Amino acid sequence: MIRAVICSFVLYEILLTDFIDLGRLPITVMRPQGAMQLLPWRFYDVLLTPGGMLIFKCVLIISLIGATVGYLTSITTKSAALLFLFFEGLVRSFGHFNHDEMPVVYILFVLAFTPSGDAFSLDSWLRHARARTGDIAYGYPILLMRSLLAWSYFSSAPIKLRVAGLGYFRPDNLPTLAIMHSLDNLHDTHYKLAFWLPKFRGVMPFVVAAVVLWELLFPLAIFSKLARRVILPFGIVFHLGTLFFMNVFFPFHLAAYAVFIDWPRLVSRISAVRLFQKGKGLRGKARNINAVIRTD
Amino acid sequence: MTERAQALNATRERYLLTRYAALTVALFVPLLLAFALVRNFYPFAASTVMMAGGDLQAGRTYYVMRGETSTGESIDLSPIELTNALSGRAWSLVGGTVTNKSFRLSSPHPANVVLLEAAGGIEKLPPASRLPDLLRSWGTIYNLRLSPSSPQRLQAVILDCYRWDSGRYSDYQHLVQSWRAEL
Repeated sequence: MIRAVICSFVLYEILLTDFIDLGRLPITVMRPQGAMQLLPWRFYDVLLTPGGMLIFKCVLIISLIGATVGYLTSITTKSAALLFLFFEGLVRSFGHFNHDEMPVVYILFVLAFTPSGDAFSLDSWLRHARARTGDIAYGYPILLMRSLLAWSYFSSAPIKLRVAGLGYFRPDNLPTLAIMHSLDNLHDTHYKLAFWLPKFRGVMPFVVAAVVLWELLFPLAIFSKLARRVILPFGIVFHLGTLFFMNVFFPFHLAAYAVFIDWPRLVSRISAVRLFQKGKGLRGKARNINAVIRTD
Repeated sequence: MTERAQALNATRERYLLTRYAALTVALFVPLLLAFALVRNFYPFAASTVMMAGGDLQAGRTYYVMRGETSTGESIDLSPIELTNALSGRAWSLVGGTVTNKSFRLSSPHPANVVLLEAAGGIEKLPPASRLPDLLRSWGTIYNLRLSPSSPQRLQAVILDCYRWDSGRYSDYQHLVQSWRAEL
């Protein structure tokens, strides 16, 4: 189920993304980063054209559809993970290395190298494949995916403290940062709420401290259901806050919260509610028939 | 379950455990290294976003892009509406292009190498050397969405560079420089 949710989210994002226009940008402004530097410029010259990017998008979509529905899961999850990894590297070569999509990239790799197509997939339906026994086969990948997302949040807190020190909690830190991201017209959104923040600068150190504390405590959500009930809703509020106050949004991080949902339990609860409603409907029908018989 | 089936299951579990251990090491060791060095190395992120915080006194340079239509009207031009693949990073593309970052790679694009040699090195290269190409490509993308006779078609794309360095929460728009690319 996690495979279907994560892959369908990535598929949705890719379907909405215009690859052809990306292929119209000049290659000379590109700055391949990290592993992307291993590929020769000749390769980018061929790929970064409207035609090349259209073919790339088609292959990525086919892979993601296969991975979402769980068809040839072992192959499609691997190709989807690799192609999405490459795409994210490509767009980062034009800008900076933000980490929004990265946990989802890592989650795709976990899904690609674990038996993620054994249950909710076309493969299991077509081949009547038997699920593997043993908790670790399915439990460990979920633990790993949760840990990767938790690491993304947790690691950003000590880095802030290492780089900026206690100065990170200064009253002007958050308002300045938020205004910096609200001045241009180059961000995805152009909200101006940041300009309100200086009025509340006295409260800002507490807001920043709460966020850093939340980041540090995020790993608790891996194991504790109670912690999840606090940490995940805080995360939603945090990301909406960064969107409206800083014009910075991390939708992939939010989508990755799917790894914290107990999907089999959710499905069985939905089924139980449906059964209950069906039962109520049948009882109602039986009462109507009795009433008709009595009137007759 | 027969003894043979049990043995087969045990072998499968061992194989899975080895695979999971390898996957964990392959993902977490580079992530820990990136964290320890506070350095991003794609695809391993060090979560460096917003790590430095904002300094009111330090000031900030920012850019506003606009277009000039064939009727001479100035319109707001948002790069994210032209290339939505650059979601969350169009601002750093513009900043990087103005500061000639693509020329500072260990192995720049061959066309950039030619330009570098002609200029006599990175220090002698004028700032924003590739900015006209970028602005022109965005202008072309915009015009491709309009009919050839549309008065909304662009004849130029302009990038204004502003500075906020007042050290106060006011005077945000101090114009520093403009670049204009004719289409």
